[in-house]
Amino acid sequence: MAATAERALGKATSRSGEHLLGVATLVALGVSAVLSLVVAPPDAVQGEVQRIMYVHVPAAWLAYLSFFVVFIASIAYLKTKKTRWDRVAAASAEIGVLFTSLAIVLGMLWGKPVWGTWWTWDPRLTTTAVLLLIYVAYLAIRRVTDNPSRRARWAAVIGIVGFIDVPIVHLSVVWWRSLHQGPTVFRLGGPEIEGTMLLALLVGVAAFTITYAYLMTLRLRVGRLEERAAREALSPLVGAER
Amino acid sequence: MAPNAGYVIAGYLVTALALGGYTLRLFARARAAKRRSETIAGRRRDG
Repeated sequence: MAATAERALGKATSRSGEHLLGVATLVALGVSAVLSLVVAPPDAVQGEVQRIMYVHVPAAWLAYLSFFVVFIASIAYLKTKKTRWDRVAAASAEIGVLFTSLAIVLGMLWGKPVWGTWWTWDPRLTTTAVLLLIYVAYLAIRRVTDNPSRRARWAAVIGIVGFIDVPIVHLSVVWWRSLHQGPTVFRLGGPEIEGTMLLALLVGVAAFTITYAYLMTLRLRVGRLEERAAREALSPLVGAER
Repeated sequence: MAPNAGYVIAGYLVTALALGGYTLRLFARARAAKRRSETIAGRRRDG
């Protein structure tokens, strides 16, 4: 299974795969913007401001996906000790931090007109802030040591342990009394959302997922190039043999 | 303009800036790393 995943990763990260994903990302984000800003109706209670949902929710879901990839790649690294998995985990963590930050900022922009405040120490908001801190710490730890295998090992442990917060964030609105609304799509009895709104939301999630795939291909290429430059700078002899 | 539309515009603008900005940053990092590698290789060639 690991070999199949590696082959798929190799195909997706080729330059032609990267260009194809770039075009697909632009098209998907464009379609998503039209659906969410033009086609979907305004919310009966919140009005136009509810349209922030079509970017806020996909950003949050993609943060979960990014950290899930960090979790899986970290386990794969500890099992195989292959640098490639460490590179995947590092790339996904960086993108996950971007999506988490985006979800928080978009939540603040939605919260101000609806709740009357930019921020409150609500369980969902607090656990999300903790999630962001965990993965910022993950990225910081990677800069602490120059030893590649020690760095990868420490990071993998944080990548596995840190993932515990993801289900806590997701279920915080069910476990504790929260100002944040509960699950709308994944709930017993089916989604509690109007059809066009659900379509716009799902297209938004799909568009953000393609964006994530594109950013991953770019970030993996950057990782390879930066590692090569560092290797060549540190080891003139090895570099001279190439 | 609809009430609170400013928040929606700000939200979509922030999203575009974050995703676009990060993409451009990755391109810049790739270019810088490639240039670093080429500089090192060039110095080595020149002795």
